[in-house]
Amino acid sequence: MEGSLNAIGYGISVIGAGIGVGIVFGMGMQAIARQPEARGPLQTNIYIGFALIEALALLGFVLAFAI
Amino acid sequence: MSADTLNLAAEGGGGLFTPGGPGFEAPSVGIFFPSAWSWGNYGETSPYLGGITKYAVLLVVATALVLLFLWWTSRRLSMVPDRRQSLGEIFYLFIREQISRPMMGAKGDKYLPLLLSLFLFVFAMNIMGIIPFLQLPVTSNLSYPVGLALIVYIIFIAVGIKSQGGVAAYFKSAVVPSGAPGWILPLLVPIEIISNFLIRPATHAIRVFATMFAGHLLLATFAAAGWYMFNPSAGPLFGSISVLFSGASLVGFIVFTAFEMVIMFLQAFVFTLLAALYIGQAQEAH
Repeated sequence: MEGSLNAIGYGISVIGAGIGVGIVFGMGMQAIARQPEARGPLQTNIYIGFALIEALALLGFVLAFAI
Repeated sequence: MSADTLNLAAEGGGGLFTPGGPGFEAPSVGIFFPSAWSWGNYGETSPYLGGITKYAVLLVVATALVLLFLWWTSRRLSMVPDRRQSLGEIFYLFIREQISRPMMGAKGDKYLPLLLSLFLFVFAMNIMGIIPFLQLPVTSNLSYPVGLALIVYIIFIAVGIKSQGGVAAYFKSAVVPSGAPGWILPLLVPIEIISNFLIRPATHAIRVFATMFAGHLLLATFAAAGWYMFNPSAGPLFGSISVLFSGASLVGFIVFTAFEMVIMFLQAFVFTLLAALYIGQAQEAH
């Protein structure tokens, strides 16, 4: 077997970001279901939260190649 | 499949079930560094012109697409829009209602041209990744997102200085959180400086870069794997199995191409959204 440990490390590290994105969208859907008229601002904030969490996963992805 | 992917795949084509055949070579990072086309005395050897790469050509194509689209939809404007003008207004209204107004309110409307061009430009650069025969997202090279993120960085600092009335006033409002007790400031201020002026532009650029990089690598792996497993000459049983495997890889390639299209749109949206957020935060006094 040959390969890079980076790939395994990235796989482990992305679990956290996966959980985070799940929480953001899950809670966002719940918020929209409870208050459908606030959909616009909620959606925008969901995507900001998603982008901030996703940055962690993507930093890991880039570093897996760089290091 | 880009030309580089084709070359890469051709090396290990039909290797499955071939005794002693070539092993599977997954596409490497090399596909993101296409060699430059040189002519005459210019090209790779010139210190001023590092050669014209596929990225440069696709960048020109993307720019021309956006310019043509905006010119075509915005000439002969009228109060009652025809179909051509409505198409442009769909994008304009989308940016205004989904990005500008929620982030900056009505006073952010003067940044709408910037946001609309940013969105269309990033989207056009991303979409180059799934147009047949081009198939290389321009944003999968870090320099292009970095350029755009730097523009946004300079703009939001300039907007902040202008609307807070002075350099010192802006930086004070940006790095000193209001309402924090004095003894914690030595801890908070460095964190705020790092997060607002270093991490922020870096992640702004890396976000779109890394997504396009990963997506293109994924598609290239599916394409190369499908080609590697396609080996109908391996006898009736193994030949049909290999074609089945190859077909599964093709289905994966098509499904993930559709998925990539959504991701490309989403990343252009998020890039513009964050640009609007940064400008909006700089505009308001904290």
